[in-house]
Amino acid sequence: MAEQFEPRIVAFLCKWCSSAGSDLAGVSRMQYPPNVIPITVMCSGSVSPLYIFDAFNKGADGVLVSGCHPGDCHYIKGNYYARRRIAIVKKLLDFIGLEPERFQMSWVSAAEGKKYTQIISDFVEELKPLGPQTKLRRNI
Amino acid sequence: MVNVEDLRKEAKRILKEGKVKYVIGYERGQNGLMPKPAFIKDPEDVDRLIWNPTCVHNLTKFLVDEKKRKAGEKKPDERPVGIVVKGCDSRAIIVLLQEKYINREDVHILGISCEQTGVIDEKKLANKLKGKKAENIELDEKGNFVISVQGGTIKVPAEELLAERCLECRANYPVVYDLLLGDKTKKKVEEPFKSLEKMESLSEKERWAFWTEQLAKCIRCYACRSVCPMCYCDECVVDTINFAVTADTTASEKAGKIKWVEKSPVPSENFVYHMVRAMHLAGRCIDCGECERVCPLDIPLRFLNKKLEKEAKELFGYDAGFDPDEPSLVSSFKDEDPEDFIR
Repeated sequence: MAEQFEPRIVAFLCKWCSSAGSDLAGVSRMQYPPNVIPITVMCSGSVSPLYIFDAFNKGADGVLVSGCHPGDCHYIKGNYYARRRIAIVKKLLDFIGLEPERFQMSWVSAAEGKKYTQIISDFVEELKPLGPQTKLRRNI
Repeated sequence: MVNVEDLRKEAKRILKEGKVKYVIGYERGQNGLMPKPAFIKDPEDVDRLIWNPTCVHNLTKFLVDEKKRKAGEKKPDERPVGIVVKGCDSRAIIVLLQEKYINREDVHILGISCEQTGVIDEKKLANKLKGKKAENIELDEKGNFVISVQGGTIKVPAEELLAERCLECRANYPVVYDLLLGDKTKKKVEEPFKSLEKMESLSEKERWAFWTEQLAKCIRCYACRSVCPMCYCDECVVDTINFAVTADTTASEKAGKIKWVEKSPVPSENFVYHMVRAMHLAGRCIDCGECERVCPLDIPLRFLNKKLEKEAKELFGYDAGFDPDEPSLVSSFKDEDPEDFIR
């Protein structure tokens, strides 16, 4: 039997909400795909577009940026900056010709463990038919 | 009509009165038609200044150089610099002012309106000339460019010779100036993002094929970075060097020397470089088209910047380079910013 493609997702989770949300999913023993590599950042607003390009460059099949819901940011307005910046990155990646499904953003609060598992499962399901991401992967 | 004598007179006046250190403008190049940047210190030299539709360069880059030079001097000359700008170049000054990179009193702006036309595209001109050597180029009253070549003249409708960006220009006269030459009538541009339409109508696969073909050509000469008035960082993210990590390398040293991009000009690294450049110019690029003009491999770099300019306008209603007091695109937000893409 041919081995099924398992996408690798790099998830930038903000320390105050999304990372705690993923923690909740863990301690509550919720089942979700193990395809995600979480990277905790201090705020979704601290995610430089370069992190995203670099993740794709190092071979990520999908990248997720997740932060607090609008109004909930620990730093008051970091997620609003992120929202603007990520919208532009998304348009740019789309313009370059990368599949738009490969790059996602979400709001996950510290109480939304369930939502976090849902987002990851949906993301993995969407990435599976696309196959490995080879477009931006480093090739020297 | 712009009378170049007025420009020379004003340049002479400010130089004589010692109001400015020097004047940056255009002068005739040694190599035929295309001009070159001129730096005029002596009031007697102002006759070297010219103005015609071949003055394509964005001279504001020299303001950035001037600032860097001044920072290295012990007793810098604090007088402003005179600079000749077109509409697009003046918007570059606005962005530099907005970012507080330069101060308004550091620069004496001699603004020239492109009126209803703009500047020519060298490549389009070369196609029209078919190997002949142009000596002069002028605009007649019917909106045609009259090119004098050896043994005659060639008449070409303006649209066929104008640079792409001039056909989509939204500021044909300077936004900020100390002296304005020429008309201040707004040019009617119905479709400011027309050149993008063809790209956007392509499928995702075709777009990818297009950009792979284009960016694979890139030799990473960084001419686009060097010529860009907005690329003024002292240390660029793509310039990271090989860094030997030893036992006593501190964590902060390692963190400051991350090698994000390999130097090899291979497609995957070129993509990172050009995407980073596009992101850094989002909401700052004023579409002077210099990156595309200097590219030795004819990569249509303008598309990347134009695309983000369009998105900034459509998603956030942001127009770069019109208001120096407005916060910049990525350092501001609105409550009603779109979030339909967020789960």
